[in-house]
Amino acid sequence: MRGSEILESMTDSGNEEVAVIGNTDLTAADLHNNTNNTMTEEGVPLLKKMEISVSEAEKRTGKNAVNMQEIYTVYLIETRPVDAITEGPSAAPDSLWRRYSEFELLRNYLLVTFPYIVVPPLPEKRAEFVWHKLSADNMDPDFVERRRIGLENFLLRVASHSVLSKDKIFYLFLTQDDGWKDVVYDTGFQAKADSRLKALNATFRVKNPDKRYTELKHYSDELQSVISQLLRVRAKVADRLYGVYKVHGNYGRVFSEWSAIEREMGDGLQSAGHHMDAYAASVDDILEEEEHYADQLKEYLYYSEALRAVCRKHELIQYELEMAAQDLVSKKQQREELATGTVRTFSLKGMTSKLFGQETPEQREAKLKVLEEQIVEGEELVKTSNAECDEYVRNAWIDIDRFKEQKNQDLKEALISYAVMQISMCKKGIQVWTNAKECFSKM
Amino acid sequence: MSVSTPKLLPSSGKKSIHDVCHPLSCEEAALTTPSPELQNTSSIGDKDLSLPNGTPVDTSSPASSSSLLNRLQLDDDLDGETRDLFVTVDDPKKHVSTMETYITYRVTTKTTRTEFDLPEYSVRRRYQDFDWLRNKLEDTQPTHIIPPLPEKFVVKGVVDRFSEEFVETRRKALDKFLKRIADHPVLSFNDNFNVFLSAKDLNSYKKQGMALLSKMGESVKYVTGGYKLRSRPLEFAAMGDYLDMFTQKLGTIDRIAQRIIKEQAEYLVELREYGPVYSSWASAEEELRQPLEGVSSCVANCSTALEMLTEDMSEEFLPVFREYVLYIESMKNVLKKRDQVQAEYEAKLEAVAFRKEERPCAPTDVEKCQDRVECFNADLKADWDRWQNNKRQDFRLLLTGMADKNIQYYEKCLAAWESIIPLLQDKPDGKGEMPS
Repeated sequence: MRGSEILESMTDSGNEEVAVIGNTDLTAADLHNNTNNTMTEEGVPLLKKMEISVSEAEKRTGKNAVNMQEIYTVYLIETRPVDAITEGPSAAPDSLWRRYSEFELLRNYLLVTFPYIVVPPLPEKRAEFVWHKLSADNMDPDFVERRRIGLENFLLRVASHSVLSKDKIFYLFLTQDDGWKDVVYDTGFQAKADSRLKALNATFRVKNPDKRYTELKHYSDELQSVISQLLRVRAKVADRLYGVYKVHGNYGRVFSEWSAIEREMGDGLQSAGHHMDAYAASVDDILEEEEHYADQLKEYLYYSEALRAVCRKHELIQYELEMAAQDLVSKKQQREELATGTVRTFSLKGMTSKLFGQETPEQREAKLKVLEEQIVEGEELVKTSNAECDEYVRNAWIDIDRFKEQKNQDLKEALISYAVMQISMCKKGIQVWTNAKECFSKM
Repeated sequence: MSVSTPKLLPSSGKKSIHDVCHPLSCEEAALTTPSPELQNTSSIGDKDLSLPNGTPVDTSSPASSSSLLNRLQLDDDLDGETRDLFVTVDDPKKHVSTMETYITYRVTTKTTRTEFDLPEYSVRRRYQDFDWLRNKLEDTQPTHIIPPLPEKFVVKGVVDRFSEEFVETRRKALDKFLKRIADHPVLSFNDNFNVFLSAKDLNSYKKQGMALLSKMGESVKYVTGGYKLRSRPLEFAAMGDYLDMFTQKLGTIDRIAQRIIKEQAEYLVELREYGPVYSSWASAEEELRQPLEGVSSCVANCSTALEMLTEDMSEEFLPVFREYVLYIESMKNVLKKRDQVQAEYEAKLEAVAFRKEERPCAPTDVEKCQDRVECFNADLKADWDRWQNNKRQDFRLLLTGMADKNIQYYEKCLAAWESIIPLLQDKPDGKGEMPS
C-alpha cells in the first residue's frame, strides 16, 4: 500500500473515504511465526479486505486506577468488510471505542511480538515542538483532532503491513469490544516486554558487529536528531511568521482612522486597510495547514526510534550468540584439560590441584560426563542462536528495505505538499498586496 | 519680480492656476495693494469655502471650467515645456581635513530662467549650506511653508554618519528638499536659492548676506509680540486640527512600519537557521538528498528576498514618515506666525477704535497690518493646497511602492518554490508524477 494513500486519508480529516488494503504478497517473512504469536488462520480474508477508520473522538469521565475521577478521550474505530460496500453503502460499519492507552498497549504488544519489524509509531503522547499560539493542551480540540488522524494512520499502516496485519490480537483490537485487554495480557507478552526492555537498556559490546546494522543504527540516530532539530526550528519560524502577518493588521486600523480625516485619499486608504486586515487573518489557515507537515515529520521522528529498536534487538541477539559461542569454547577447553590432564591456561583449578593434589579418577570421570552434557547443550544453543540470528537478520532486513522505500516515498510527498503550501501562501500574498496596491493607486 | 499674469507652474503635479508673488515676500519693502490675482483666488476657490480639513474639494464635481482646468493640472504629469528649473543632488564625497571630516554633495542645476546668468551650474554643498538656505528661506519667506531638511543631528555611535546607507538616505532627502523648492512658484525665485545653486563660493556670500539683512528693515520681520488672537478663521483652525490628527496617524504608521521591520528581521534569523537543517539532513540520505537540498536552497532564496524587502522598507519608507513629521512641524510654526500677524492686526484695529475721537494716529499702520494678514492668508492657502496635493502624491507613491516591494518579494519566493516542484517529483528512473 502506497504511503501516499495513507497520507491522503490522513489529510482527509473527517472524510470517511479510507484506503482499502489490497492483497499483500506472501513473502518468506510471512511464513515465519514467532512461537508466541497468535495468528489468524491463513484463510481469513478480512484484514486484506477491510475498511478501517478512526472517525470520531469523545470525552468520557470515569474512575482511574486509584479510584479518582478523570476525564479522558475515546476514539471511535469503525470497520467494514469491503464486500459489504458492494452490497450497498447502507451497510453499517462495526464500531467500538478505544482510548489512547489501549493503542499504546497494542503497540507494545506488537513491538515485543515482532521485534524484527519496524513497527509504525503512534501520534505523540503530549504536544511537542509547539509554536506559541498553538495549544499544548491535550484536551485542546485541535490536538485531539490531529491525534485522531494520527491514530487512524497508525491502524492503516499496521493493517497494510504484510506481517503485522495478520496478527490476531490486532484483529481483535479492531473488532472485540469487551475483554480485549485480558486477551492481550494472556499472551504473556508483558514478561517478554520486561526482559526485552532490560536487555535493550543494558550496555554490552558486540565483538563482531554487523556493519549494515551499525550503519543503520547510526542513521536512525542521525534521522532522529535532524528531524528534532527541524521541528524545533520550524516551530520558531512559524512563530515569527505569525508575528509578521499579525502586525500588518495594525495597518488596517490606522488606515481606517486616517481615511476619516482625508477627502480624496479616504476611500483608497479605507479599502486598502481592509486588505491589510485580510492579510493578517490569512496566517491562521496557513499555519494550521503547516501542522500537517509537522505531523508527517513527527511520524518519521518516532519511526526512527522504532528503527533503532530493531537494530538494538539485533545487537542483543548477536551478543547472546557470541556469549553462547564463547561459553562453548571455554567448556570444550575445560574438557580437554580434564581429559589430558594438562593445564593449558592458567586456572584456579590448575592451581588448587597443584596445591592440594589431583582428583581421583572417579571424580574426574563424573566431571567429564557433566561437561560433555553441557557441551552438547551448548552446541545446540549455539546452533539455534545462530539460526535465530540469521533468521532475524534476514527478516529484519526485508522489513527494513520495505521501510526505507516507504520512508523515501512518504517524505518526498511530504516535501512536495509543503512546497505546494508555500506556493499557495505566496500566491495569496501576491493577491492581497496587488489588491492593496490598486487601492493605494486610487488615493 | 511680480508677475501680473497667472503662470503655469513648472512642477510635477503641484499645480496652481495662479502665481502670486507677493511684494512682502520680496526683498524690496514696497507695498502694493493685493494684486488682481488675489481676487482670482477667491473666485477659483469655490473650494476655498468648503474646506473643513483644508483639502481641496473633490474636483470631480461639475462646476466651473476653472475647477476643471485645475483638475487637469492636478492630474497632468510633468510637462517638460512648462518646467524651466531642474535641480539634482548626487555624488556624495567625503572630505577629510585636519579640523573635521564631512560630506559634500554635488548640486546640479539646469535652467532657462533669466534670473540665472548661466543655463547650467554644478556646485558642491554640504549639509550646513542646506541648513543655511532653509533658514534664509524661513526668514525671507515667512508666509510660506518651507520644505523640511533631514535631521541635523545624529547620535554618534548609534548612527554612522559616513555609512553608505546614511549618506544615501540623506542625499535623497536633500534632493527632495531642493526639488520642492524648485517647484514652488515663489520660493524658487528667492535670491538665496539662486545663490545657493550658482555661487562658487557660498561662504563669502553668507558673510555678505548677514550685512545685507541688517539693512533690510522691519518689513520682513514679523515680530511675534505676544498678541492674543481673538478668533481664528475656520479654515486655518481646520488646518491646525488636521495637522494634529495627521501627525498622530503618521506617528502610528511609523511605529507599525518599524515593528514590521523588526518582526521581519527576527523571522529572517529563524529562516537562516531553518534552511541549513535540510542540508544537513540531506547529507544523511541517498534518494532524498536532492529533494532536501532543493528545499534548503529554496529557503535560502526566500531568506535573501526577505532581507531585501526589509532593507527597502527601512531605507525607502521610514524616512518619508519622518520627513513629513518635520514638514508638519514647520507648517504648524507658519500657522502660528499667521495667528500672530492676525492678532497684531486685531489689536491695532481695536486700539484705533478706542481712540476714535483722537486724530487717527496711524491708519496706514492698521492698513499695513491688514495687508499683511491678507497676504499671509493667501500665501498660506496656496501653499496648503500645494502641500495637500504633494502629500497625496507622495503617499500614493510611497504606499504603492511598499505594496510593490511586497509583491516582488512574494513573486521571488513563488518562483523559488515552483522551480523545485519538478525536482521533488523526479523519480530515479526519470518518471514524474502530478502533484497531489
